[in-house]
Amino acid sequence: MKTKLTEMAPWLAYFVIFVSMIFAGSDHSIHVASQIIILGLFAIAFNVLFGTTGLLSFGQAIFYGLGAYITGMMAKSFGADFFLWALLIAPVAALALSAVLGVLSLRLSEVYFTMLTLAFAQLAWGICVKWSSFTGGDDGIQAIPKPDILNMGGRNYYIFALVIVSICIYLLWRLDRSPFGSVLKGIRQNPIRISFIGLNVFRHKLFAYMISSSFTAIAGGLYAGIDKSIHPDMLVWTMSGSIILMTILGGMRSFFGPLIGVAVFILLEDVIGRSTEYWSFVIGIIMITVVLLFPKGIVGVSRHFAGLFAKKGGQFDNP
Amino acid sequence: MKRKVVAFVSSMLLCLTSAVSFAAETIKIGALYPMSGRGGLYGQDSEAAIKIALAEVNAKGLPGGKKLDVIVTDDQSKPALAVTLAKRYITEDKVKFLYGVVSSGAALAVTEVSKEYKTIFVGTDHAATDLTANAFQKYYFRVSNNTYQSMAAGALYMKDEMKGAKKIAYIGPDYAYGRDQIAELKYSLGKLGVQYEMVGEFWPKLYEPDYTSYITAIIKAQPDVLVSGFWGGDTVAFIKQAKAYGLFKKMKYFHPDGGGNYEVFSTLGAECPEGLIMSARHHNNWPETKENKDFVAKFKKATGRYPSYAAEGAYAGILAIAEAIKKVGNADDTEALIKAMEGMKVRLPEDPKGFASYIDPKTHQMVQAQAIGVTVKNDKFAPAKYMLGKFKVYPADKIMPTQEYIDILIKTKKK
Amino acid sequence: MTFEIFISQFFGGLSVAMLLFLVASGLTLIFGVAKVFNFAHGSFYMLGAYFSYQAISMFENFWIGAVAAALGAGLVGMLLEICFIRRIAGREEEGAFQILLTYAFILILDDAVKYIWGPAYKTISKPDSLAGSLDFGQVTIPTFNLFIIVLGLVIVVAAWYVLSRTKTGKIIQAASTDTQMVGMLGVNVSLVMSLVFGVATAMGGLAGAMAAPLRTVAPGSGVEVIIDSLIVVVIGGLGNFWGALFAALLIGEVNAFGILWMPQWASLLSFAVMIVVLIFKPKGLFSREKGRKKI
Repeated sequence: MKTKLTEMAPWLAYFVIFVSMIFAGSDHSIHVASQIIILGLFAIAFNVLFGTTGLLSFGQAIFYGLGAYITGMMAKSFGADFFLWALLIAPVAALALSAVLGVLSLRLSEVYFTMLTLAFAQLAWGICVKWSSFTGGDDGIQAIPKPDILNMGGRNYYIFALVIVSICIYLLWRLDRSPFGSVLKGIRQNPIRISFIGLNVFRHKLFAYMISSSFTAIAGGLYAGIDKSIHPDMLVWTMSGSIILMTILGGMRSFFGPLIGVAVFILLEDVIGRSTEYWSFVIGIIMITVVLLFPKGIVGVSRHFAGLFAKKGGQFDNP
Repeated sequence: MKRKVVAFVSSMLLCLTSAVSFAAETIKIGALYPMSGRGGLYGQDSEAAIKIALAEVNAKGLPGGKKLDVIVTDDQSKPALAVTLAKRYITEDKVKFLYGVVSSGAALAVTEVSKEYKTIFVGTDHAATDLTANAFQKYYFRVSNNTYQSMAAGALYMKDEMKGAKKIAYIGPDYAYGRDQIAELKYSLGKLGVQYEMVGEFWPKLYEPDYTSYITAIIKAQPDVLVSGFWGGDTVAFIKQAKAYGLFKKMKYFHPDGGGNYEVFSTLGAECPEGLIMSARHHNNWPETKENKDFVAKFKKATGRYPSYAAEGAYAGILAIAEAIKKVGNADDTEALIKAMEGMKVRLPEDPKGFASYIDPKTHQMVQAQAIGVTVKNDKFAPAKYMLGKFKVYPADKIMPTQEYIDILIKTKKK
Repeated sequence: MTFEIFISQFFGGLSVAMLLFLVASGLTLIFGVAKVFNFAHGSFYMLGAYFSYQAISMFENFWIGAVAAALGAGLVGMLLEICFIRRIAGREEEGAFQILLTYAFILILDDAVKYIWGPAYKTISKPDSLAGSLDFGQVTIPTFNLFIIVLGLVIVVAAWYVLSRTKTGKIIQAASTDTQMVGMLGVNVSLVMSLVFGVATAMGGLAGAMAAPLRTVAPGSGVEVIIDSLIVVVIGGLGNFWGALFAALLIGEVNAFGILWMPQWASLLSFAVMIVVLIFKPKGLFSREKGRKKI
């Protein structure tokens, strides 16, 4: 019963924060919150690969961009009503692409896998920039239409995105706790043992890669609706890189860690960017502090303090 | 367990939601510029020029005793961040104008915000013709040249001054800015009936560190003239590397949009080759009017350095906004401000004697003259040892994008 | 393609390759010996360029600038190794934290450089003795580019000598295969690691000083070279010095000739080469060992 409660606590916090944003938030905070949940989905999906399975892909932006471009270009060509359909097509396309790229890259070990995923993503980015007659090149695509009901201010779209993101995160959460999730964790810790049990390590890695990629594409598709504009920036290596950073910063061993990393990163950029142009210096210092003092990421910070409080509580109980 | 995190995040969110006070006496302008990276200098120069312009217009006074105030934030030239900041400016800081932006990609994204929130966006430094053509919306104004104007002036220059140059090669950064320039030059040359042959087009990536292999390939193509579409540090790197290969002795170097920017000369110093044909959206040594001399002197006094062309665009926009507010009497009636700005004349540092830049009512593009010059020895603007001289001036009305070209853009790039 | 064109493209590619190798060799050395994935290696290239700019503006001598660049970047590198990287060694998720840490270095160094030298890009002049160019009929080769090619070769030979003919080199090689064993033999391993880090970042700094007369550097230039260097290191096989040399030559020449054949797509060739290499040789062209590292 108690474990159940601690398992549900993050969900409770998640809903309290993000649902309250619907009512309390100003236009700007709703915009920021939309970015947090969408990039948060990206990061949590990425962590299925990284934190759970132990595969560091440096090219997940390819699927984020794929989702965004499928959604953006379809809505642009076939009209606003197609926006929702495109959101369904995006993960299917990502599933197909990731199957091909996964078969090619998952044969490689560790760093080489990382670099091959980076190369694929960079190639895709290059094509996206160069094939401007089709993709709009580096100017991106603007004025992406979406159904009227999602159009009124940022609030409606936020609610829409929150529903979809929450469903996706819930599915990933169930996956994390399923036998399949345990196999993935086993692959990270000891792949040989997994193959001794008679399970196919490669196939499980491939499934993890495909699942992660298709949820990433949903995040990309959702992003196309926030700003109504998309850019090749969404495919470039720094996009993949910042998701990796946010995930580690938040805590890659915790299911919600990546989401917390995303939230902290975006809020820091917003708050620090207002007061100084040296924001990247400040973020760098914070990152170093977290690395040196809190090896478990920000989740570790909170657990650290929670531990302190628990101790205090213990003393209090003792007369 | 998660309580601390929750508390932390929600207190952060509270910080965001707490409304920013807005004083009645100031009219706020929200500016977006890159403050670091390769475009950082343009952001810094723009901010300095904005301060100069603010001091001038606030000293003269605005209707109702109000003052203009500009907030500048680093947009890192990232479209997504620029959009976030623009929305924050409008909804939280209650700015009346969006302002600035160096990257065209970011500007194309911000112009959508301007349209959605019906807030005027004054562009000062991005050059993509699209913004005043196929991506035009009525809340957008641009107070600096677009690439079409530079390239149309360039075509006129080629027709009159470079009659023997028939074989053309092009090198430019591989993104929209680089591609638009050569397309616009080809179109303008075609309009003028100039006969030419393209013998090569080369597309190094933006910020390419090493042009060696491109340079040898260009020399092999043996053009009469090499047209260049670089900006900033890429121009300097290319010139330094090409000079060692003797490229400038083998062909003419023609760089009509970003080549003659002051920071190119100040960085190259004595290494700048003589006889390069270049232009820029503003020159520190042309025209020799009081307005230009005053502007350059004030900038030098404030920052200790001479301005790149980004500065003049940022200066011009503030003057234009102040002028429009004066005409309307307040900054609240956006539609009236748009009406006032359409066709409005503003006398700017870059205007030659007897001419004032004006805003084209149809496209909201500032109509300006363009002067193309040749690098000659000139150490009056240290640390530069060479500056442009022997200017040829092309009148403003001859270099505006034609309706035909706008239609082509609408057709090929959609909207 | 005439012989002259072939030669001039080839030499062009060679000088690009040697600068690439100068940056990548440090990266691969750190990985090979210290097992650290130094994302910030490009920032030492940037620092080197700025140090040489500063020294030249003070002493007006290119060579002093080069020395200042190598020493300065090497010292900063050692300092960061001792203060930070060493402290996370042996952690469970060391690889991931190395990425986070070295990425933080990039952010901090970029802003520090901007604060000290301003946001404008910088360049330096070539030394007078190397400012000219050699003409062989139709082929022109700038003296400075020739100098960089020679310098690259000198470094290759010197590195070969140090790594395979000296005691220090043998300790470094041994430390890269079995750190614990070397430690038990009484070698101060952490000192070796710091020194290797210092030498590698000094090479990055030297590369920056050598590139500064040809290129421009600005705050943020580090990330402009890091991806190309990563490609070179990976194609050559991580930690493999000779592999990096071969890969740099491959990338340099593929680009040089790619520009002639497909100018539109030339800038994507490096990635295409990496993909082809990794699909057919999953551990790089010259890998000696199995994958070393769990990230």
